[in-house]
Amino acid sequence: MSVVNIAQVLSYIKYYTSNMDCIITINIGTTAVKASVFGMKSQLLGSRKGSYPIFHPKPEYSEQDPEQVFLTVLYALKNLLNDEIRTGKHNVIAIGFTASMHSVLAVNRQGVPLSNAMIWADNRAQREATELKQSALGKLIYDATGTPIHPMSPLAKIAWWARHEPSLFGRTYKFISIKEYVLFQLTGEYLIDHSMASSTGLFNIHRLVWEPQALAFAGINANQLSEPVSVFHQSTQLKKQYVQLLGLSANTPLVVGGNDGCLATLGAGVIAEGAATLTIGSSGAMRVAGKRILQDDQQRFFNYLLTEGHYISGGPTNSGGVVFEWFSQQFGASSNHLDYEIATEQLLKAAENVQAGAEGLLFLPYILGERAPLWNANARGVYFGVNINHERRHFARATVEGIVFQMHSIGKLLQKYRSIDTIYVNGAYASMPFWAQLLSDVFNKTVYINDNHDSASLGVALLVLTNIGAYGSLSEAAKTVTSHEVYYPNTVAHDNYAPLFNIFERLSHKLGDEFDAIAALQEKTEPAIA
Amino acid sequence: MNTPLRNEHFLHLYELTNLKNQTVQLARWPVHKSVGLRVLCITDGKFEWTIEGQKYILYPNDVLVICPWQTLGHQAGTLEIGAFEWLTVVPEVLEKETDLRLGAWSNLLEGDQKITGKLLAAHAPVVLPQFKLVHDIILKIDNEIERAEFAFQTRVNQLIDELLVVIVRQLGQQQNQRRDFPQVFQKLEQLLREDLEHPWTVEEMSAIVGLGSTAFTEKVKAFSGFSPLNYLINIRISEAIKLMKRTNKSLTDIALEMGFYSSQHFSTTFKKLTGYTPGQYRKKVMNDE
Repeated sequence: MSVVNIAQVLSYIKYYTSNMDCIITINIGTTAVKASVFGMKSQLLGSRKGSYPIFHPKPEYSEQDPEQVFLTVLYALKNLLNDEIRTGKHNVIAIGFTASMHSVLAVNRQGVPLSNAMIWADNRAQREATELKQSALGKLIYDATGTPIHPMSPLAKIAWWARHEPSLFGRTYKFISIKEYVLFQLTGEYLIDHSMASSTGLFNIHRLVWEPQALAFAGINANQLSEPVSVFHQSTQLKKQYVQLLGLSANTPLVVGGNDGCLATLGAGVIAEGAATLTIGSSGAMRVAGKRILQDDQQRFFNYLLTEGHYISGGPTNSGGVVFEWFSQQFGASSNHLDYEIATEQLLKAAENVQAGAEGLLFLPYILGERAPLWNANARGVYFGVNINHERRHFARATVEGIVFQMHSIGKLLQKYRSIDTIYVNGAYASMPFWAQLLSDVFNKTVYINDNHDSASLGVALLVLTNIGAYGSLSEAAKTVTSHEVYYPNTVAHDNYAPLFNIFERLSHKLGDEFDAIAALQEKTEPAIA
Repeated sequence: MNTPLRNEHFLHLYELTNLKNQTVQLARWPVHKSVGLRVLCITDGKFEWTIEGQKYILYPNDVLVICPWQTLGHQAGTLEIGAFEWLTVVPEVLEKETDLRLGAWSNLLEGDQKITGKLLAAHAPVVLPQFKLVHDIILKIDNEIERAEFAFQTRVNQLIDELLVVIVRQLGQQQNQRRDFPQVFQKLEQLLREDLEHPWTVEEMSAIVGLGSTAFTEKVKAFSGFSPLNYLINIRISEAIKLMKRTNKSLTDIALEMGFYSSQHFSTTFKKLTGYTPGQYRKKVMNDE
């Protein structure tokens, strides 16, 4: 036996018996919370999740129960600690947080929720948002806060409460997001990071304070919101019950973290100009990073803060995978006995075998109205150019292409302000090879699929690791993100798409009046909800 | 058919009727309620009926199950050309909010009867397209009654049980096949929330979704990260927390209302999930005042 072998064996023994440092990330998403454990080189070691429901007490309402979300955070965290961390004998150095943007709930002085949380998808504040958007004040608030004036923003939602639930509004001590509620439960402190604050529509992203004009519109004062702190802010106030319940050491720092859009961009490795991230999950978004905001006079982009001096800008779309799921549910299964997932797979295969451009069949995917770049809630879906030769497979292809064209219409606009050489994609749909190639062909850019599919969690990990000194800066941390799968544009396919995309753009704008007319008609004939 | 029924042998079987209609008849089939639990199967023709305010077009072998609180009929009262058969069972207890009790004649287990009732009430209305099995069973029941051979009452009762079993299974499968799992799960979650007091079992939950309990548990775990019972407990505790914070109800009342069999059981579960006993938790909220 050689000496080298013994040394190797010894090092293995050391590796497996010594305590390895790790950090935990908590990603509070729309349908589930994910607790993940990362090593000090941001390698993912394991994760656990727990889901919670979205309630729709009325068609425009989308709510979540903050108590259930908090319990689920504890559940996922406890499982992660028991199954992955203790068995691996890891030391937890810090815990970092991220969450979906735009949620808001009311709490009283004791921190008791007076309501469920309205989440980003809640549209009840439509009227408040429209009125503000059309006013000069709306433009001022958008420029100051970076958040598009839209019913999704807590600004509009709080204004809705003021108008429609004056009694609840009067009893409210603070308006906070789900992430703030979770942190409040764990520590007793009301803390909001600059990143999360930048997506409320109430926070001045240039001066890093609550924006007086926005507060006045919402009818609240700054004391009714949490204290804005840096994304790196640490709390060491974890309550002793949770220290015991989770078996953590008493002073484990909780890093406040940021919003999931900004952190997903960081977690995709994008923190400077030249690259963009593109996500297609259920909905979608395209984002770029930079030292300055994007000044768009038509208010088509969001400008959120990752941290001081790092802005994440871009456009969100309603027309993500949910549109293809709709298509698949309606036209996929030829009989009741076909499993849903199989139907989707078969449709995608059929679509793949149709040539680029779906033989001239074009689809505008606005079945849920549209956010960027149209910002038109009345927009509706359109199949255009149907001829007698088009079959179901053409429709399937046109549907996917329509979703990608919609992404491109955001991307094209972004490129007016920023150069984009490469695109990093993630999300369940964009990471499928067929979709990734399509994106590459339509955009005529190189497309990388991130190795880590949960880039928001990785983003928090990078933030926490930078905070505790494992990386010198966020830029250094972002360089460690890996993407092995790469797609190069096929110029022949791109040339096929280009004229079709032009029709897509013209049609989307030309149909404005007709969208309004048909939406008004649909509102009148809306079927009774069973 | 049209066998005279409701004699001493079949108090629970209210009617068994086969209706063949050869000309359009006005004012023969208005929207109406049924006496008991009515299972109806189209055997010929095409009907445009309104069931619970919604319009349906029905073809041969389409099956309807109508509860006494639900309405069925033609909007204008017209009886269209065609044929259909139905059987009406009058259970001991059949109300929207109460557990279904069929009666001593049925051999279905008490729990299975409850699931049947819950499923029927949750689907308003039950329409099962192309479900010929129901016609076959109704025919068998009719034959049994007609021939009145040895032990025919027993056979008829067994066949009614059989009828309910195939309907419940089909309902579950319909759920399972026509939607993707997230939607099925959402529906289940709603049912659980509507009746947290009920001592839900995994078997009941999986029957509602139309899966075997092993496959059900795996799917729930993969989708939600929870086992079915842990998911239920999570809902129960989060609802309990709301009651503790927003009302003055006693912890025992809250425990029972949320489906815990004792306040001790509630307390242990609560502590395991939240790190606090219910008493400490309530005090904590008050002290922050």
